[in-house]
Amino acid sequence: MSQANNSRFPAWSPKALLRNRAFLTVAIVILVWIVAGFAKPGFGSYGHLRYLLELAAVIGLVAIGQTYVVIAGGIDLSVGAIVTVSAVGVPLVALSGDGGGAFAVLIILAAATSIGFLNGLGVAYLRIHPMIMTLAMATFLQGVLILIAGGTAISAQNPLLAWLGNARIIGIPAGVLLWAVVSGAALAVLHATPFGARLYALGANPLASALSGINVQATTMAVYAVSGLTAGLAGVLILGMNGQGYVGIGDPYLLASIAAVVLGGTSILGGSGSYAGTIPGAILLVTITALITVVNASAGWRSILFGSLILLLLLLSGRESQRR
Amino acid sequence: MSSLTRTGDDRLYWRAQGERNRGLMGLFAVVAAFLALYAYLFPGLLSVAGVSKFAQSWLPLALVAMAQAILMLTGGISLAIGATVSLGAVIAATTMSGYFGVAGGIVAVSASGLAIGALCGVIAIRLRLPAIIVTLAASFIIGGLALLILPRPGGAIPGWFSDLLAGNTPAALGLVFLVALLWKLYLATPLGLSLYAAGENPVGAYRAGVPVDAARIAAYAISGLLSTLAGLFIAAQTGSGDPVIGQAFTLNSIAAAVLGGVGFLGGRGTMRGAIAGSLLLSVMINVMFFLGFPPVAQYVAQGLIIIGAVALPQLTARFRRRP
Repeated sequence: MSQANNSRFPAWSPKALLRNRAFLTVAIVILVWIVAGFAKPGFGSYGHLRYLLELAAVIGLVAIGQTYVVIAGGIDLSVGAIVTVSAVGVPLVALSGDGGGAFAVLIILAAATSIGFLNGLGVAYLRIHPMIMTLAMATFLQGVLILIAGGTAISAQNPLLAWLGNARIIGIPAGVLLWAVVSGAALAVLHATPFGARLYALGANPLASALSGINVQATTMAVYAVSGLTAGLAGVLILGMNGQGYVGIGDPYLLASIAAVVLGGTSILGGSGSYAGTIPGAILLVTITALITVVNASAGWRSILFGSLILLLLLLSGRESQRR
Repeated sequence: MSSLTRTGDDRLYWRAQGERNRGLMGLFAVVAAFLALYAYLFPGLLSVAGVSKFAQSWLPLALVAMAQAILMLTGGISLAIGATVSLGAVIAATTMSGYFGVAGGIVAVSASGLAIGALCGVIAIRLRLPAIIVTLAASFIIGGLALLILPRPGGAIPGWFSDLLAGNTPAALGLVFLVALLWKLYLATPLGLSLYAAGENPVGAYRAGVPVDAARIAAYAISGLLSTLAGLFIAAQTGSGDPVIGQAFTLNSIAAAVLGGVGFLGGRGTMRGAIAGSLLLSVMINVMFFLGFPPVAQYVAQGLIIIGAVALPQLTARFRRRP
């Protein structure tokens, strides 16, 4: 029993810390912030860092579901479309008797969760490869959204969202607080519940998990539903920060969420990693983007820099060690 | 292959081909049905000009579908296809009107495609990084290069070259057949033979002495070449280069390959399937246009068709297994 405990909570040592990907990513973020703070006046100011965290909160929320799905051995290419569904959908379902705006938000979150659930249904029961299922879902949603919402931006008159996007509690933006709370819950579910343990088992070896009595279908559907829910939350937050939603608003968050997951050390093959690494991964991603914007370069050079930095960071942190 | 002395081999070859065709019959039937519907709606299709125009709208998609399929057969994937198409288009538009002319432009486009594809392959295979992330990062780098070469749409393609490829000649259809023929020849080379083995069972193939890494890197290089050539054709079609023209091709190439029955795990699928998949997508878009659907309805249909095409064989197989 004591041995099992030891393997789960290894004794603290500097070496173990260096091998911990989540810690490594945090260290890289801090290093980049310190260097950039000295090199560029204003970068290290509280206001700027707080702004970076607000941007990271959206990516971080989308990346919760993406981390879950990737750990369970899948991938979700529909998160960008679901973010758009929720950012465009909240103004569309606005009801007259809904003064606080909470009802519209709840409806949309339920809709986002059911879209994720449908993804899970296709993956679990129709046995469609996750990449195909979620890609087809994204294509489908994109068409439906343009048919319903058209090409114009839709403004939201929703007090709850306005508060979420602009309020500061003790100087901390509400969006960042939301991210912190949801992250805490996500980490707890991942590391301290049977559901979290099933995700790792499913990602490591689906056949063995099925044979050892895990309900693979139910777990798969649940994990995609979680992904839909967190993408929906992110869409609500963007709408609050932006004031209006339009078709395509969520597109950048698909690749950003995958990049954050991988930069945080979660294996794209499934079965290992943690959301604890994805959090600094998301912050690292927005920091890189901000640094590139600070460097006064043309659009082409900015794009090249961004791609090269992701490759470089991948070499440092996301290397797949155990193949062949 | 002489039929007198090696009849046994021949029979095995055709049996293997038949086995590969088995899952594709449904797809071929659907493609034929859509083509018939298209010809019924638009009788002008059944003329040299009609066939030429249709083949021209189909060729870029067919090329990127093949570019994606060759990677998926080896167990890889590329999210950089769209950016590579754009790069091919801008290189064509900037070099062809220059000193080296059309021939120089074709060489530049082909060489850059091969080089970029091979580089992606070396990074993904040799450094053991996940292909999906490497090509995602590469799509930013390649897209940036395209923007550096041509920050806004411009450049020029000589008029006679545009007329040759995208005028009233069925040249595009001929190119599809030519590329399909070259693919058959490639499959007969040692690297081509290793392709399916490397995708189906990399460890087993490696232990059996198959050059797994070389086959995979070659697949990336060929994929890059096909993508930039698709860009070259688009540039010839539009008469100029556009640094972001290829974006939609990344997802469409995956969709076409998947419709064609190419699997994500490697070793499963055929190139003729991928070409048929791209043909289906292309015909579908044209038919929906003729039926008066809004252009975006094609996304809805595309999503449903992909899910249906992948789910149906699974479902029928399960019902057959459970008597």
